[in-house]
Amino acid sequence: MKVVSCYKVVPDERDIIVKADQTLDMSKAELKLGEYDLNAIEEGVRIADATGGTASILTVGGPQIDNSKLTKAALSRGALDLHMVIDEATAEFDAHATASTLAAALSTIGFELVLCGEGSADIYAQQVGNQLGELLGVPCFNAVSKITPHAGSVLIERTLENETETLEVALPAVLSVTADINLPRIPQLKEILAAGKREIVRYSLADLGISGSNGTKIISTLAPESTERKQVILEGASAENIDAFVQSIKREL
Amino acid sequence: MDFQKTEEQELLLESLQEAYKRGNFEDYFKECDKNHEFPEKAADVMVEAGFAALGIPEEYGGTEADLLTQIMVTEEAYALGWPALAWINQALSVDDMLSFGNEQQQKVVMDLSLKGIKPFTLGFSEPQAGSDSAAMAATATKSNGKVYINGQKTFNTSANRAPYMLCVIREFKNENPVKDFSMYLLPLDRDGVKVERLDKIGCNTVATCEVYLKDVECEESDLVGIEGRGFYQLMKNFEIERLLTCAHNLGMARCAYDEAARYAGVREQFGKIIGANQLIQQKITDSKIKLINMQNMIYQTACQYMTGQSISVEASLCKRYTGQAAFEVIDDCMQIMGGIGYTHDCRISRLWRDQRVYRIFAGTEEIMVHTSARALIKAAQK
Repeated sequence: MKVVSCYKVVPDERDIIVKADQTLDMSKAELKLGEYDLNAIEEGVRIADATGGTASILTVGGPQIDNSKLTKAALSRGALDLHMVIDEATAEFDAHATASTLAAALSTIGFELVLCGEGSADIYAQQVGNQLGELLGVPCFNAVSKITPHAGSVLIERTLENETETLEVALPAVLSVTADINLPRIPQLKEILAAGKREIVRYSLADLGISGSNGTKIISTLAPESTERKQVILEGASAENIDAFVQSIKREL
Repeated sequence: MDFQKTEEQELLLESLQEAYKRGNFEDYFKECDKNHEFPEKAADVMVEAGFAALGIPEEYGGTEADLLTQIMVTEEAYALGWPALAWINQALSVDDMLSFGNEQQQKVVMDLSLKGIKPFTLGFSEPQAGSDSAAMAATATKSNGKVYINGQKTFNTSANRAPYMLCVIREFKNENPVKDFSMYLLPLDRDGVKVERLDKIGCNTVATCEVYLKDVECEESDLVGIEGRGFYQLMKNFEIERLLTCAHNLGMARCAYDEAARYAGVREQFGKIIGANQLIQQKITDSKIKLINMQNMIYQTACQYMTGQSISVEASLCKRYTGQAAFEVIDDCMQIMGGIGYTHDCRISRLWRDQRVYRIFAGTEEIMVHTSARALIKAAQK
């Protein structure tokens, strides 16, 4: 099976500084691979191994994603090759523009199964996977917690609120996997060294024949205002305490 | 000189950090320390993650890694909080076996190393032969095609777990002791071997033992290297062993520093963080200077070794300096922690107990003066 897993390069949340006016300063943030996307990469490699197929990885972003440490970090996780759509314009892309770019790249690369993480580690809109499936005109599902490959289809499990849904999905398809579908591997030195020798294919938006534009506009991104903790402690789960607990929450709403 | 880590080294250290974080070992290490048990479960995780294979030649199933990379990984493991002496990579400690062992010995030792098992304890010190290694008196007597080993060895690290002892014996053929030692790879499960654990103040997860050898039967093929060359073979091993213990020192000091510096920024007394007090600031500043010094010295010595130069003096200088500097850093960090630092809940107390012995073993800090000063003075006479 030819599997392509998508990932996003995001700022390390530990380095994000909340400024006094609640805006976020990411200028000192190191870049890293989105952690939910590591599950998609891992699952892609496992499926390719199980079916004797190939696992590729695909990412979209500004020139900063073409950083050799980041590409080695991505390629040390078992994929055969890396496809990158690099364009200054993509830095501001919303979910739909990103999905359109991925769709154009995937039409060039070819695929039977596309995997996404459950959401990007920065915006976490959880939109790209489903929009990508729609744009490619293939079946798409999110919340996929298990994938069993068959010839021409995959059997998937989706963990819903009260039940687990089992579906057989015809290929090609796009699936967004949950963070608990697998435990991503920890790259060993051998894989890290090999990563530097794997093939990387780079595209610009023009190469893919698209321009890409946002349908949405971000007006502002602010961290929640910090407030003093109320420091009300109720000990024991008596009816009286629970009542007091509920009352004190109500008062604040 | 550029000690910037390569991307590969950075990624490898990130893998180590991730494996350590996933393992959530802190409470387990506390239990192992309390019960004087080797952290078997944590060791298995790290072997599984590939860290035992680093530095073992590929023909034995390992992954080649240069000395500096191995030093960085060892340093990082201890900086994360791995218990003293218990790190699972044996590649540097078995370097001498690759230089002097026969094919069979190399295979046995490398197979054990790949599993993260310390293959042999170094059978070197004896009750009357500590720093004065030439006073060793264990013997090997040949009879009917066999070799019988007699003697008493002491301060044998991991002798309760290691399958072998790299046992140094006196031939009593040459009056000059340094030309009279031989090494045997002695299986510790043989009749006549008695191992007794010493009761010590730290490094609890790794046993230090006395080993009594009474007519222990070995094969002539158990000889390592050349008869009578044991002392020289040992010296080659010592340079690397010394440098490796320096990486332990640096790692443990970093571990203590990270915790104490963090604490200084959150612990409040007299209405402000204790880090606002100059007496605390000075400890943090001096500790950081020592950490940087240690790292530079160790990395530079490793680079020197990698370019084929001798490090016989530099390894001694490094060991003397890092042993003392790490001790001072950890001691200052304990002071920053206050009373909490003296409890078993705070791992700085463990580091404080454990690191002390690094100024004694693998050549005392006084012997480091002895091994370097004469050469330094001689070099100045040119």
